[in-house]
Amino acid sequence: MYNEYFIISIILFILAVLGIILNRSNVIIMLMSIELMLLAMSFLFLINSEALDNLIGEVFTIMVLTVAAGEIAIGLAILVAYYRIKGTIAIKSLNLLRGWSIMGHLGKD
Amino acid sequence: MYILIVFLPLLSAIISGRFGRNLGEKGAGVFTSSCMVICWVVSMLIFNETNLNTSILYLKLWKWFDSELLITHFGFQFDGLTGIMLIVITSISALVHIYSTGYMSGDPHIPRFMSYLSLFTFFMILLVTSDNYVQLFIGWEGVGLCSYLLINFWFTRIKANKAAIKAMLVNRVGDIGLVLAMFVIFKEFGSLEFSTVFSVMNEVSHSNNMTLICILLFIGAVGKSAQLGLHTWLPDAMEGPTPVSALIHAATMVTAGVFLIIRSGPLFENSPLALIIVTVLGALTAFFAATVGLVQNDLKKVVAYSTCSQLGYMVMVCGISNYSTSLFHLMNHAYFKALLFLSAGSVIHALANEQDMRKMGGLIKFIPFTYIMIFIGSLSLMGFPYLAGFYSKDLILELAYDRYYLTLAHWLGVFSALLTAFYSIRLIYLTFLSNSNTKKEVLMHTHESSWNITVPLGVLALGSIFVGYLAKEVVIGRVSPPVVPTIVKLIPTIFSLLGGILAFIGYNSLKTYKIFLPQINRETVTNLFSPVVYSFLNSAWQFNLIINHFLVSKMLKFGYLVSYRILDRGFFETLGPMGISKWMVKVSQGISNLQSGRVYNYTLVMIIFVGLFILVNYPFVGGG
Repeated sequence: MYNEYFIISIILFILAVLGIILNRSNVIIMLMSIELMLLAMSFLFLINSEALDNLIGEVFTIMVLTVAAGEIAIGLAILVAYYRIKGTIAIKSLNLLRGWSIMGHLGKD
Repeated sequence: MYILIVFLPLLSAIISGRFGRNLGEKGAGVFTSSCMVICWVVSMLIFNETNLNTSILYLKLWKWFDSELLITHFGFQFDGLTGIMLIVITSISALVHIYSTGYMSGDPHIPRFMSYLSLFTFFMILLVTSDNYVQLFIGWEGVGLCSYLLINFWFTRIKANKAAIKAMLVNRVGDIGLVLAMFVIFKEFGSLEFSTVFSVMNEVSHSNNMTLICILLFIGAVGKSAQLGLHTWLPDAMEGPTPVSALIHAATMVTAGVFLIIRSGPLFENSPLALIIVTVLGALTAFFAATVGLVQNDLKKVVAYSTCSQLGYMVMVCGISNYSTSLFHLMNHAYFKALLFLSAGSVIHALANEQDMRKMGGLIKFIPFTYIMIFIGSLSLMGFPYLAGFYSKDLILELAYDRYYLTLAHWLGVFSALLTAFYSIRLIYLTFLSNSNTKKEVLMHTHESSWNITVPLGVLALGSIFVGYLAKEVVIGRVSPPVVPTIVKLIPTIFSLLGGILAFIGYNSLKTYKIFLPQINRETVTNLFSPVVYSFLNSAWQFNLIINHFLVSKMLKFGYLVSYRILDRGFFETLGPMGISKWMVKVSQGISNLQSGRVYNYTLVMIIFVGLFILVNYPFVGGG
C-alpha cells in the first residue's frame, strides 16, 4: 500500500547520491544533492511513521530538518570561505589533498 | 708427573705469551726452554714407567660430555705408544726451543715466538696423551692452529700469510674426515673412548662401517701427514722460520696423522680394503715426494719433500699392519729430520738468509761442523747401515716385500730409497762441496753459529746415530724380521748407495752436464734431462696447478656466480628483505593513489562499501 511512496523516496535518495557522484562541476549542486538526500530520508521516515502508526518517525523528521538547516548553513559558510580564498567553487579545484606516489614523482620529475 | 708433562708447556706458553714483555727476549727464551727441558726429563721418567716397566696409566680428570648415550671423560692414557711419542715430542721441542733462542736472536718478537712453540708442544702432548677421540681432536686442531700462527710468524710477508692460510685450509679438509670418522665411530660403538671402542671391536655388526670409519680416519691422516693429494701445504709451509719447520713440519705435527693411524690400528685391522688403500697411497706419496725432491732448488723444500716421502713410508708400513715399525720410523725420522732442518737453518743463518742452493757451494771450508751434522742426518735419512734410519727403513721395505700382493709398494719404496739418497747427496754437494756461487762479501762473514745453535745439532746428531740401535728392542721387539731372500734384504742399501754415488758422480764429474741443475746461465750449464721433465718435477707434478685451476678457481667462480649472485643477491634477496620492502612500498603507494582528493570518488567508495555491506549481510539480517 505504501510501496509507491517507499520506491519514490528511495529513487529520490538514489538520485541524490548520483547527483553527488556524477556531479563534477559545482559544489552548490553537491550541497543541493545532500539536501535532497536528507529530504528523501525525511520522506521515508514520514511514510514509515504513517505505515507503522508511530510518532517517532515524525519527531525524527523534525530533528532531521533542523539538522539539515544547520548543515546547509555551515556548508554554505564553508563555501563562502572557500570562494574567498580560491575565487572558484569548481569541484575540480578541490583535489589538492590527494595521495601521490613517491616513486612516481622521483622517477618522473 | 703425568699431569705436569701436559700442563707445563701450557703454563710456559701462557707466561711467555702474557708476560713476555716482562720477561724480556732473553728471559722468555730461557724460561720456555727450561720448561721444555723439564718436560723432557719427565717424559724420560714416563717412558721408563710405560715402556720399560710396561705399566699403563689411565687418568680420568673429569666428566666432559655427560649425556645419556655419550659419556666422554677428559682423561689421559699413558701407554707404550704415548711414551715413545712423548720422548720424541719433548726432546725435539726442547732442542728446538734452545735452537730458537740462537736462531731468532735479534727478532723483536721472541716471547711471542717462544709462546707459540710452547703452545704447539702443549697441543701435541694433549694429542698423544688423550684417551678418547674428542680430546685427541683438541690437540689435532690445536697443532693446526699453532701451525698457522707459526708459519705466519713474520706476518708482514704476504707469502707467509698465503702459506699459513693454505696450511690451515688443506688441513681442514682432513679434519672434516676425522670429524666424520668420529661421528661414525659414535654411531657404531656408542663411545669415543679408545678403551671402549677397541674392546668391542668384534661386536660390530656391519663391516662396511668399519671400512668407512677407517677411510675417514685415513682422510684425516692424509691431511695432517701430507699424503698424496693433500700434501701441497707442506712445501709451502717452509715460509715459516726454520725452527718451526723443524719442530712442526718435520718431527711432530705431520706425524700426528701417522699417530692417528697407529692409535686406531685395531680399527684398521678389521678393514682389509682400508689397509690396502693406506699402503698404496703411502707408497705413492713416498715415490712422488722423492722424485720432486730431486729437482728442488730451495734448501728447505728439498728437506720438506723428503719429509713428505718419509711420511709415505710410515703410512705405507701402517697399511701392512706393522704399526710398531711405523712408530719406530717416526721416532728415527723425527731425530734425523729435525737435525737436517736445523742444520739447514744453520746454513741459512751462516749465509745471511740465503735459501737457494744454486747460490751456495763450497761451504765445507767455512762451516765444517754444520757440514758434519747435515752429513750425518743425510746418511741416516738414506738408511746407511747402522745409523738410525737403517733400522727402520730397511725393515719397512722388507716387510713390504713380505706381502707379495703389495709388490708395487715395495718397489716404489725401494726406488724412493734410491731417489732419497740421490737428493740427499745432491743437497750436500751443491751446498758444501761444489764451487762456490756465493758473493764474496757474504762468504767473508760466514761462520759457525753460537753455542745454542750448535749444541742442539750435536744432540740431534747423537740421536740420529744411536736412537735406531738403542730403541730397536723397545719399540719393535716383537716384530720378527720377515724371511725374504738375501738379495731383497740388500737391495735397499745397495740402491741407496747407488743413488748417492750417482748423485756424486753426476754433480762432480760431469762438468758441463750437471744432472738436475737448472739453467742459471744457459750457455755454461745445460740440463742433462729434458726441460719438460725438469719443470714437471720442479713444479711437483703440477699438483698446485691442478688443484688451483680445476678445483679452487672453479669453486671460487661457482661461489661468486651461483651462491652469491644468483642465490644470495638474487633469489633470497628478492624473496627476502629487499624484494619484499620494494614490493610493499609499491603497493602502499598504489593504495595511496586511491586518495584522489576528489570528493565524489570518496562518496562513491563509501556507497559501494555500504552497498557491499548490505549485500553481504542481507541473508543474515534482512532475509532472516
